Amino acid sequence: MLSGQTQRLPQRKTPKVLHEGADEAAVGRTSTARRRWPVSLFLLACSGLALGAPGDTAEVTYRANVTEVRLTFSATDQNNHGVATLQAVDFAVVDRDIVVRDFQSFTRTGWTKLQVVVLIDTSESVAPRLRQEITDTLRVISPDAGIPEEDLSLVSFHGIEPSLICAGNCRASRALDELPAVEAGGLTPLFDSVVFAAALLAQPGDSETRKVLILFSDGEDTISRHSAADATAAALASELRIYAVGLKNAADPSPGTAILRNLAGATGGRFFAAREGTSKVLDAVLEDAHATFTVTYKLPSRAAGFHPVRILPTHDANLQFRCRRGYYYTRGR
Amino acid sequence: MKRWLLLAVLLCSSLPFLLAQTRTHQSGTIVRMRMADCIPQHRIMAALSGGRKVPTGELCPEYVLVTDKVVYTIVGKESDQLLPLAEITRFRLQHNEMLIRIDDANRESRFHVLAMTLRPEWDRQQRRAEEEEAAVMTEGRQ
Repeated sequence: MLSGQTQRLPQRKTPKVLHEGADEAAVGRTSTARRRWPVSLFLLACSGLALGAPGDTAEVTYRANVTEVRLTFSATDQNNHGVATLQAVDFAVVDRDIVVRDFQSFTRTGWTKLQVVVLIDTSESVAPRLRQEITDTLRVISPDAGIPEEDLSLVSFHGIEPSLICAGNCRASRALDELPAVEAGGLTPLFDSVVFAAALLAQPGDSETRKVLILFSDGEDTISRHSAADATAAALASELRIYAVGLKNAADPSPGTAILRNLAGATGGRFFAAREGTSKVLDAVLEDAHATFTVTYKLPSRAAGFHPVRILPTHDANLQFRCRRGYYYTRGR
Repeated sequence: MKRWLLLAVLLCSSLPFLLAQTRTHQSGTIVRMRMADCIPQHRIMAALSGGRKVPTGELCPEYVLVTDKVVYTIVGKESDQLLPLAEITRFRLQHNEMLIRIDDANRESRFHVLAMTLRPEWDRQQRRAEEEEAAVMTEGRQ
């Protein structure tokens, strides 16, 4: 969700401060936390004044400057294994062309919970290869793998819209029974479904919950109202990572495969071909969850718009970093 | 005895060369990085003389490297020519190219030098840009 810079509030309502500018998800939590109590006192005083002035309906605007960017990322070595021991001097952030090496904070993120939505393309084009893949995945994404039942949801898509198979009560066997039968000439609302799944995961969780979308598809969208850009923006706003499993033959690069790679890459997730084995997906999810870091730094430029972000090594060229592709910054009005 | 003499002569003769090597290396800090259109070899001179760059469709890394006296804008010859963004980057110049040794690589990576600006001028430009940004911010608040 993009923050709306400032919000005009009638005086009698409880005042609420929104961050000015950047993507609420990515920017400003640390600085807000630091300033929380003085801001709260100020707001309390303001609301007291407001209550003491009946009949006065003038609008008041509260603003809070956000000066920090918060970025969560994973690091892997040359063998594509997660790097759990990383130091702030090992990487630099490139934020809208500007190289940032001075960080406000750098911590290893301890994800203790995973919230997973499995999104399954049941259109005719992928049906024959599908059931075994999903069975395998659901078998590993089970309470035994450390993901409680209440944090697993299943969504399928074919026809004109996605349908929720189970939300927070998914048992592998039962969920498979409930997968819709494939119809000839099935349509594929891929982007709509990603937006739908992002909305499912959009509820703010605690800071220790990693939101993950595992997407099984051939990447071919035929009917969505939303675009690929909308789907990416929704995923970024919900702070989820997409792990895409391409059901097309990877030896045959297709536009669908490129779309899946893009969706995964933009959110800091990964792409896998189905033939690589679905257990790899969960391995990657768990590995990323255990080798994730959070860095905060001063907003390097107040230029409005999308701030592309990438992380690069400072000395070990074999290190690879994965993070969201950027964030939006909008100036206050 | 002859062997020792030969060794001493060799050492003495190679010392100036080694010193010269050390002197030609400079150091700076990369402060900006972006992916820009790669420039075909034959278009480099045109780009240097202010001519229009002809895009090749491929993206190459472009860096701004700041030294004490000069600020260089350099561009890689290939899309995967990424530099580690260390605090200090050591380089040397040779025939309109910047040579940077990446980590333990056997040979140096060659970058086209797209532009050179004197440091005081670059600092002035940066200050002006910051002031303009601050002015826009203040305007936005009013």
